[in-house]
Amino acid sequence: MESLLIRLELKLNTLKANARKALVAYLVAGDPDLESTLELMHGFVSAGVDVIEVGVPFTDPIAEGPIIQSAHDRSLKKKITLKKIILLVEEFRKKDSNTPIILMGYLNTFLAYAEELNNIHNRGVDALLIVDIPGESNLNEVGIYNKSIASISLVSPTTSLSRVDGICKSSSGFIYYVTLRGVTGSEDLDIKDAKQNIENIRTKTILPIMAGFGIKTSKDAAYLSEVSDGVVIGSSLVEMIHRASDKKDYKYIYNYLNEISEAINK
Amino acid sequence: MDKFKDLPDSDGFFGDYGGKFVPETLMYALQELEDTYSKLKDNNEFFANVDKDLKQFVGRPSPLYFAKRLTKYHGGPKIWLKREDLNHTGAHKINNTVGQILLAKAMGKKRIIAETGAGQHGVATAAVAARLGLECHIYMGANDIQRQSLNVYRIKLLGATVHAVKSGAAILKDALNEALRDWVTNIEDTYYIIGSVTGPHPYPMIVRDFNAVVGRELKEQSIELFNKFPDAIIACVGGGSNAMGVFYPFLEEDVKLVGVEAAGSGIKTGKHAAPLNDGKPGVLHGAKSYLMQNDEGQVIDTQSISAGLDYPGVGPEHSHLKDSRRATYIAVDDVEVLKAFHNVTRLEGIMPALESAHAFAALEHLVKDFSKNANLVVNVSGRGDKDINIVATMGGISLD
Ligand SMILES: Cc1ncc(COP(=O)(O)O)c(C=O)c1O
Repeated sequence: MESLLIRLELKLNTLKANARKALVAYLVAGDPDLESTLELMHGFVSAGVDVIEVGVPFTDPIAEGPIIQSAHDRSLKKKITLKKIILLVEEFRKKDSNTPIILMGYLNTFLAYAEELNNIHNRGVDALLIVDIPGESNLNEVGIYNKSIASISLVSPTTSLSRVDGICKSSSGFIYYVTLRGVTGSEDLDIKDAKQNIENIRTKTILPIMAGFGIKTSKDAAYLSEVSDGVVIGSSLVEMIHRASDKKDYKYIYNYLNEISEAINK
Repeated sequence: MDKFKDLPDSDGFFGDYGGKFVPETLMYALQELEDTYSKLKDNNEFFANVDKDLKQFVGRPSPLYFAKRLTKYHGGPKIWLKREDLNHTGAHKINNTVGQILLAKAMGKKRIIAETGAGQHGVATAAVAARLGLECHIYMGANDIQRQSLNVYRIKLLGATVHAVKSGAAILKDALNEALRDWVTNIEDTYYIIGSVTGPHPYPMIVRDFNAVVGRELKEQSIELFNKFPDAIIACVGGGSNAMGVFYPFLEEDVKLVGVEAAGSGIKTGKHAAPLNDGKPGVLHGAKSYLMQNDEGQVIDTQSISAGLDYPGVGPEHSHLKDSRRATYIAVDDVEVLKAFHNVTRLEGIMPALESAHAFAALEHLVKDFSKNANLVVNVSGRGDKDINIVATMGGISLD
């Protein structure tokens, strides 16, 4: 596993060595179309994004709030498949071989392409984040046999400390701390608990810990980055991309990301 | 191999199927539920309370009735009906809600949520919540709200709030998605009463156990009325709770078990709701099971005349019973179902729910395999009052 985890590990280690926090950005592949997704991915990096999470659309995304649900629906209407998304990543790699890419989605779509997944580490994908598998399971236990890819797990405010250990042991890359009780994009960001919970997770793992779900403003991002190793921005980006999708002028999104990048590294 | 009756295993698997495939936030609630249930499972007082409610509130036991004219019509084995249609609120769904609401109470939950397709589970949930004075929210697809409007009004009369779900095809699957999202958001004070043997572990086990009263009664009643166990039991399968309830006590007995799925416009058209007949294993709503999906792993739209069967997945235990050939699963289409509905209504004076009419329609295919001395039991999962508008419309009659 080690050698192939290089890109994600290297990135996060380098950030740490420079006392910088990671900015992780999420978008849904194919919303509004694959060309835009590619353009946005490169734009994100120029705006200070360190790691990109590419959402793989699913008909029944039960962990998503209305914003990301709608993006999944739009992407499916464009007939976006995991196969096309892997091609997109290959295309992205032609110009960017440094930025780690995580595919984030639901187990059923990954299982449908289980064979194709065997060599995605050679095609530019660094990690999978499968929202609906128990954190303790290794990928091979759920039917994904690629041993050269990182598996990122979620820990939520409701995760018991007794389970955190098992989750961390079967994870690689980083631990994703869910900063609210709810679906993506909810309003009730749970900043108070985050500090204590992340400290608890730290007693169980040396992996970096990213905070995400419901982070919108640079103020929240700045606070959460103090207690974590970085932040994930999802729903607010997806919404901004959708709003800009007719003119396809994404400058204001890059400005927004720039602001957050600066806020978490003041 | 484990005995069928000893499943699921400690991870919630029935053979290859089941499990807990949920967002992390829900894991704690599932553990809490599992712990509570395993504690109460061996608690006589808890089950005495469930039994008391089943008797006094639901009206159990439901009769086993000999369908004389239907038997004559088919000209083969004796046909008996297990009358779940006579239960309070009109279907087997109440067996499960009576039990789960007591779990909710034991766990100190103040807020009840549920999904519903045909509305029967919504009514059954709203009724038990009303009885305990608990806040209740029912998620229902906007399309189902239209086609099962009578039940929607009943749910509201019982004091529950109905949330129309407009995503996807706006049917049962989408209502389940939304109920799960509500649960993720309100995890601490909310109890989710799932309406079938679907969803993550421990739900398929809990819902089965609470419905198994149907099979236990049938064991006694069949001995009493014809001195042996039935030769075959036939039940419709949406998520599969009425079927699992009547099958479970017979899993280790020499009794043929037949589940009947909805073939909608016909299996060959692809417009149906028959994952066990025409799907492949996948993961939806927290469990691995047979699923209607395309090659990309996307769940495909279903179609059935009955809202309660209009679901692309099925309970994991049924998938295991299918693969291990302990049960057989066939499918009947909408046309056959309507015919069976009218037939049973005229011959027996019993109007079955369209879901249950699937089990009746299957008789046409099954009776030839049995001698005249054989005893077949059809599980009449619910009554047809809720479906009168659909039946009228299909017959070209307007009731307005
Ligand atoms: C009368 C009746 N029968 C059957 C079903 C299907 O559910 P299950 O397969 O869980 O029994 C329903 C669901 O709404 C129903 O109302």
